[in-house]
Amino acid sequence: MAIFNAKNRVIECKIVYYGPGRGGKTTNLEYIFKAFRKQTTGEMVSIDTKGDRTLFFDFLPMGIGKIRGCDVSIQLYTVPGQVKYGSTRKMVLKGVDGIVFVADSLEVRRTDNLFSLKDLQQNLAEQNMSIFEVPLVLQYNKRDLAEEGIPLIPVETMDGGLNKKLKVPSYPASALKGTGVGATLKECLKLTLRNLQQELKWAR
Amino acid sequence: MSDQHHIRSLVKEAEIYRGQGLFVASREKYLHILQFIENNKRLCNDKKLVNTVKNKIVNLENDVAGLHQETAVPELSQDVQGLIKKLFSFSEDQGAAAMEGAVALAKFGQYEAALAEFQRLLEEGTFPLMAAKNILRCHLALSSPNVAIDQFGQWVSGNLLSKEYLKHTRAFLANVLEKRGIKTELPEVAQTSSVADQKDEQEDVLDISSVRVQLENGPDKGSVVEFDVSFQSGNIISVIVSARQKDLADTFSLGIRLPDIQFYSPIAIFRGSGIVSGKTKIKSGPKRGDYMLDIKIEGA
Ligand SMILES: Nc1nc2c(ncn2[C@@H]2O[C@H](COP(=O)(O)OP(=O)(O)OP(=O)(O)O)[C@@H](O)[C@H]2O)c(=O)[nH]1
Ligand SMILES: [Mg+2]
Repeated sequence: MAIFNAKNRVIECKIVYYGPGRGGKTTNLEYIFKAFRKQTTGEMVSIDTKGDRTLFFDFLPMGIGKIRGCDVSIQLYTVPGQVKYGSTRKMVLKGVDGIVFVADSLEVRRTDNLFSLKDLQQNLAEQNMSIFEVPLVLQYNKRDLAEEGIPLIPVETMDGGLNKKLKVPSYPASALKGTGVGATLKECLKLTLRNLQQELKWAR
Repeated sequence: MSDQHHIRSLVKEAEIYRGQGLFVASREKYLHILQFIENNKRLCNDKKLVNTVKNKIVNLENDVAGLHQETAVPELSQDVQGLIKKLFSFSEDQGAAAMEGAVALAKFGQYEAALAEFQRLLEEGTFPLMAAKNILRCHLALSSPNVAIDQFGQWVSGNLLSKEYLKHTRAFLANVLEKRGIKTELPEVAQTSSVADQKDEQEDVLDISSVRVQLENGPDKGSVVEFDVSFQSGNIISVIVSARQKDLADTFSLGIRLPDIQFYSPIAIFRGSGIVSGKTKIKSGPKRGDYMLDIKIEGA
């Protein structure tokens, strides 16, 4: 539910980082906040528990300049990944325009990824959106841990498992080190804006 | 790989999981390590090693238990509360947006701030019924139900709420209190007020003013019809189908599922589905001959 103000020619859209708890959603936003300082338009707000787990959401506002004569501002959100915060996830997902699904590459998180993707599909359906239609990008996070000898799910296996039916762009990443974070976000923005362009038909 | 080496690499893995807050995975790894040690002739007598690993497991079990505990909701700064109001209101209408913002504050556990907003909206006359119910919800969440009961009493003797709204509010409060097993006499609204029919009202369903239903069968299959909601009790809404539209009335047979309904409430439009849970021909009064349909809202 992007807000399009035709008079001021401003477009505001909402990108939500979704995925299993501890997968690295907040770390993605933290990296973006650090690395894309010029494009951020305000502070990052995090509402978390003592143990750093997201309790409500993280929020980071960005501006990416003019596209086809419109000023585009972006709001990045993360949901709390822990299973028990289901109702908050629904709330944060409301009015979403594009989604980054942060999957955890750790072998031990295989089923958590699948459950979270299923949860996303259901929550989208509840707001009459289809996971097959919404602008969506997958990120396979924590690839850096391979160097530590930690068992990771091979990228091809993740693609085969999570992305088999979706067939959306996917990126290996390390949110901690920043690898792949920018590429993931850029692709998601590209898909989202293309989609909004078709929906809102804004043009010069 | 030597046994020492093997254990060291397992511990490293377990510690990485722990560092990432993956307590269950970490505990599993340490259990694995413990098993490895106990099955190893040379290591199984190393009391110190065994105890260290057992301690790790106990600590991790506490961490896992901690995850399942209710997290205390923090009182957020005014700035963040303001941000929540802004970010979680979607309507263009100012009053509706203010209501959504206040509801978001309450959902995020900021009851004091939400209460102030709902009070303001009620005094302004913006969605007074919804504001009143939410004020009671906040009081119930914040403190003893007595405050909610007192509040209701004040409304009964004041003039912020109409008789009709007072009746709804009373039924709502009575229902919540009953669910909590609290027996109390609420002030009566008017001699004639009957709250019995609203007993079932559920807390979470919005007040719906009208619906649009997509017809799934019958001669007008595929078209959309709109009804005003004449009565709502919790998740059951009642609409009237005129006697002149007998074809339409026949389409809605008892028990049929309506997979695509748009519900219009003062603060939001949402889609969902429903089931025709009742159908009666009205026998007297000005609507004699018309049909009263009860639709039970399912997913919305
Ligand atoms: N090694 C490594 N650790 C990571 C990476 N991304 C996140 N982490 C760590 O994983 C843990 C969880 O990261 P968060 O960003 O808080 O995860 P989240 O998805 O926001 O978790 P919730 O808020 O509970 O949903 C932290 O300890 C991070 O440092 C990564 O790419 N590599
Ligand atoms: Mg987080």
